[in-house]
Amino acid sequence: MPTQDIAISLTDVDKRFGGLRAVKNVSMEVRAGERVSMIGTNGAGKSTLFNLIAGVFPVTAGSVSMFGSVVTKQNTAKRARNGLARTFQTSRLFEQLTAEENVFIALGGRGLGVRSILPARRIPAKWHRVAELLETVGLVSEGTRRVADLSHGEQRQLELAMALAADPKILMLDEPAAGFSPAERQQLVAMLTALPADITLLLIEHDMDIALQVADRVIVMHDGSKILEGTPDEIRASQVVREIYLGGGHA
Amino acid sequence: MSTSISSTSTTPRWKAWVSAQNIVVAVVLVLAIIFPLVVDRPRFWLPNIGVRTLWMGTIAMSLVFLNKYVGLLSLAQMTFAGICSYGIGYFSVTMGWPIIPSIVLSLGIGSFAGWLTALIAVRTKAIYFMMITLALAQVFYSWASQAIEVTNARRGIAPIPRPDFGFINLNDITTFYYFALVLAVIAYVIFRYTATSQFGLAIQGIKDSPERMSALGYNVNRYRTAALTLAAFVASIGGVILVFDRNQVDPSFVSLDSTLNILVVAVVGGIGSLGGVFIGGLVFALLQNFAQDFTDRYMTLTGLVFIGVLLFFPAGLVGLGPMIRRLFSKRAKASASSESSETLDAERRAGTHNKKGQHK
Repeated sequence: MPTQDIAISLTDVDKRFGGLRAVKNVSMEVRAGERVSMIGTNGAGKSTLFNLIAGVFPVTAGSVSMFGSVVTKQNTAKRARNGLARTFQTSRLFEQLTAEENVFIALGGRGLGVRSILPARRIPAKWHRVAELLETVGLVSEGTRRVADLSHGEQRQLELAMALAADPKILMLDEPAAGFSPAERQQLVAMLTALPADITLLLIEHDMDIALQVADRVIVMHDGSKILEGTPDEIRASQVVREIYLGGGHA
Repeated sequence: MSTSISSTSTTPRWKAWVSAQNIVVAVVLVLAIIFPLVVDRPRFWLPNIGVRTLWMGTIAMSLVFLNKYVGLLSLAQMTFAGICSYGIGYFSVTMGWPIIPSIVLSLGIGSFAGWLTALIAVRTKAIYFMMITLALAQVFYSWASQAIEVTNARRGIAPIPRPDFGFINLNDITTFYYFALVLAVIAYVIFRYTATSQFGLAIQGIKDSPERMSALGYNVNRYRTAALTLAAFVASIGGVILVFDRNQVDPSFVSLDSTLNILVVAVVGGIGSLGGVFIGGLVFALLQNFAQDFTDRYMTLTGLVFIGVLLFFPAGLVGLGPMIRRLFSKRAKASASSESSETLDAERRAGTHNKKGQHK
């Protein structure tokens, strides 16, 4: 029974791509303000599940709700306007624009109104917010550089700044630490722990340290199904998780 | 806070306008303004080269805008211009309306045609978008060739006299040239301004990553539709110049040949440059007028020029400037690096190089 306190609720969600059943009958709930990590091997269906929540593809069966209202039929843009922000597994930034212009766009003018024909440079309040966001992710000195010239790590940081720009209620990060150095990983963990408590965080991460450090609860995906969920401690102790990650079968 | 914010607020506004691009634009504009005063036979040069360059450039600029900022290659721009031309002919000649309402309404109809095209084409990308716009352009061409009550079929609507607004009489060729120049400048300013607006940033974002833009809450198709409508409006401005240049309108305005001519103008000028189209238009107008003096096969010559530009100046003729600059800076760099390697050798010989390396 979906209510206001449940930020994301999936009920019996299925996704097929032709003959491939990428997500099999998954049900899950994420409470508002909760920090949830999704782990699982490559091809476990984590990113597909993400895309279903974000509305990139329609579900084959089942339903998706956000804060108690069914959004199964809503498109990506609508869900985004209702408070859902995400990053992509591979950076999809606006390469020809500068870092600050990227964040500026993320701040939106959302609707296509009369105000969107105002010159972009004459809105100081927005540019201050852009600078704040770049500061949050540690990119403030790179603001005027073109994205195509940024390093991979910097691009990932920029992705984060853009996801935060919309003041999201739900933040979904798809492998935010991919390609990060150990120092950058620690920075990321510090930043994620410092997020305002009312932001719901859903995280896909291969780095188990990060996934377990940040989360209140962990969901384990395998072969399109949700096979386990529990607190980080329970997951650490779980035999099943070890088998999956160590290529088990000998237990 | 961010360095760029403080720098934009401290630099005087006029300085932000001084850039290599704007200097070139200013020089070209001055040349365009004095053009009627310096040519030997204004009755030939102004209509055949000047005005033709301006309408071809304006229409091609709308194509370049869509390609550069939205990432869509539209082959219907000539058609939008032609629709506006037809509108002016139909309202002012067939219906006998006064000229100013006819022009305003026709600009609206040209833009509306862009909006309708967008509704159909905007969901497609790249080659499919190009094919759909081409198909729609051909649909209009065959309709215009047959709809005898509206377009007078193949004979077209003629004559469409140039208006005399009292204080401005477009029957004077010099006045008409300046009228066309003002319209072309307005079109250019519209696009330059749009690119710096929030809308402009958003469409550039859509060009780079539509998925990301919808994840940010933007309605991608609505933005694309708005951009295509705007481009159709500017193409229609070109159509206003065109119809008064020819004093008539017929299906050849919207034929495949005309459509491709606009594409050639855009590519020769530089498909990534808004202002470059006028250089492309000028080259094209010169070829159309003078190639016949050298050879009977002037279309072949046009084709060869096109191929030559594609091979040697892939960024179009405006790409020449940066190419020359790069050539010089390469030379400067080459000489600088040979100098630095000389000093390196000298240091090595003196045994200082290793020490320096350790310092770092």
